[in-house]
Amino acid sequence: MTAHRRLVQLAAYLGLGAVSLVFVYPYWWMVVSSLRRTQEVMTAPLRLLPERFDFTAYEQIGRIGGIPLAHYVWNSLAVTIASTAVAVLVTALAAYALSRRPKLRGLQLVRYGFLLTIMYPYMLLLIPVYLVMHQLGLLGSYAGIVLFLSLGPIQFFLFDQFFRSIPKELIEAALVDGAGEWQVLWKVVLPMSRNVVGTVTLVTFLLNWAQWFPVIVISTAPTTYTLPAALLLLNTELGASFQAILALATVTTLPVVVVFLLTQRRVMEGFAAGAVKG
Amino acid sequence: MNAIAAARRTWNERLFYLFALPFAALVIVFGLWPIAQSIRVAFLDSYTALSPDPRWVGFANFETIFADPYFHASLRITLIFTALSVVANVAVALGLALAINSPLVRRGSTFFKLCIFLPVITPDVAAFIVWKAMYDQDFGAINAALAALGLPPMAFLARADSALWAITVAELWKHVGFYTIIFLTNLALLDPELDRAAMLDGASWRQRLVHVTLPQLRPAITINAVYALIQFLKTFTVAVVMTRGGPNFATNFVSYYAYRRFDEALYGEATAMATTLFVLVGALGYAMYWAAERRDWR
Repeated sequence: MTAHRRLVQLAAYLGLGAVSLVFVYPYWWMVVSSLRRTQEVMTAPLRLLPERFDFTAYEQIGRIGGIPLAHYVWNSLAVTIASTAVAVLVTALAAYALSRRPKLRGLQLVRYGFLLTIMYPYMLLLIPVYLVMHQLGLLGSYAGIVLFLSLGPIQFFLFDQFFRSIPKELIEAALVDGAGEWQVLWKVVLPMSRNVVGTVTLVTFLLNWAQWFPVIVISTAPTTYTLPAALLLLNTELGASFQAILALATVTTLPVVVVFLLTQRRVMEGFAAGAVKG
Repeated sequence: MNAIAAARRTWNERLFYLFALPFAALVIVFGLWPIAQSIRVAFLDSYTALSPDPRWVGFANFETIFADPYFHASLRITLIFTALSVVANVAVALGLALAINSPLVRRGSTFFKLCIFLPVITPDVAAFIVWKAMYDQDFGAINAALAALGLPPMAFLARADSALWAITVAELWKHVGFYTIIFLTNLALLDPELDRAAMLDGASWRQRLVHVTLPQLRPAITINAVYALIQFLKTFTVAVVMTRGGPNFATNFVSYYAYRRFDEALYGEATAMATTLFVLVGALGYAMYWAAERRDWR
C-alpha cells in the first residue's frame, strides 16, 4: 500500500468516524442530560458523564397527564404488536393473492387503490380518517388505532416482491400432484416465506412503535395514548422539566434501538428493498 | 369431470378474493374513503361540513386559501425547504454511501452504517424533542459546542431567519440514513468489471466516479430524489414538535397549516389545502421522475 493510499484511508476513517459520532451523539446527550440537575446542565451542557446519577426526572414521569407511565408502555406494546400482527397477516394474504392471480377481475384495483392511498399526504389523510372513525364508531378505541396502523407504506411491496420471486413451476407441480390451494399455501409457500415474514414483522414493529399522530387523532383521551403520543403530551404540558421530557424520550427510544441493534442487517435490508420496489 | 374441475376453479377464485378482501377493506376504509371524503369536504362549507345536510360552496374554499397571504408563504416555505432537503439528503447520502462502500474502509463499515441508520428507526417525536433541546439557548449542546470552538452563539429555532435551516439539519440527520442505505444497496449491485476495466485504462478516481459509477447509479439517484421530494413536501412532525410553525410562520409548512385549520374546525379550508398538497405531491413527483428518466446524463 502506498503512502498516499494510506493517507486517504486514514482521512476516510477519520471522516466517517466523525460523522458517526455526530449521528449517535444526540442519544448520548439525551440519556446523560436526563440524569443531571438543571443547574448542572446549564453550567456545562457538554459534559459527557453525569456528576451523579439523579433519577428525579424518571420519578417525575411516573405519571403523565394523570396516567401511570406503565399504562403508556403497555399501550405501546399492545398497539404495536397487535397492529404488526394484523398488518403482516392481511398484507401477506393480499400480496399472495395478487401475485398468484394477477388477472382475476378487479384484483388489480386493490393495488391501484393502495398506491393512491400511500401517495396521499399521510398526516392530512388523518383529517378525514377522523370523520370515518367517527362514522364507524371507532373513535377513542384501541381497535380503531390498531386497524388504522395495520395499513403500512412498504409491507405490501416487500411481500409482493417475494411472492413474485417464487418459481411458478414449484406451485404448479404441487397442484398437479393433487394439492389444493390451502395445502399449497401452508405446505409450499409458507415454509419458504419465513424470512420475508420476519423482515416485514420487524420493519412494521419499528414503524408502528414510532406512530403518534394517528394515535392522537383517533384517541378521545390520553388513556389510549402510546409512548410517543404521551411524549408529545408532556412536551406541551406547562411546567414539565426538560429532564423529564428527555427521560421520556429515552424510554420511548430505547426499545426500538435495542430491537434494531439486534436485527440491524435484516431491518436495513427490509427498508431498502421496500423502497427500491415502491 | 369437467363440472368438478369448473367448480374447483370457481372455489379457488373465491378463495383468492377472500385472501385479498381484508387488505382491500383496509385500503377502502382507511384510504380511498377518507381521500374521497377529504376531496368532498374541500367543496363544502366548513360550518355545515359535518352536519347531515352540508352546504356545497364550489371552489370557495380554494379561492379563500389562494387569497390567503399566509398560505402563499406556507407554499413557498414548503417548496424551499423541500428543495433544500432533497438536494442535501441525496448529496450527503451519495457521499456517505460512496465512502462506506470504498474498499479503503472495509473494516468498520457495518458500524458506520448502524450509526447513520439509527435515526431512521428512532421515533420522530423523540428525535425532534432531543434536537429541540440541543438547540436550546440556555442548556443546549449545540451553542455550548460553538462556544467551545470560539464561535458566537446562534439563535437557531428562536429566529425566523435561522429556524428553517435548523430544521433542515435535524431532518437531514433523521432521514439521510435511509437514502444512504438505498445507495449502498445499489452500489453492491454494480458490475465491478467496469470499474476494473476503467482502472486498467488508467482512469483516475474522479474519472471513474463520474464516467463509470455515477451513470450506473442514475436509477438510484432518481428513486431517492423522488422519494425525498414526496417525503419532504409532506413534512409535519418536525414543525409540531420543534417550532409549531414559527417563529413568525417561518416553518409553517402546508401540512402543518392545514392541520391548524382543521384544529380550528375550518374543515373546508383544511381539506382544500390537503387536496392542493396532494395534487402538488403527485404532479412534482411525476414531473421529477419523468425528467430524470428522460434526460440523458452521460
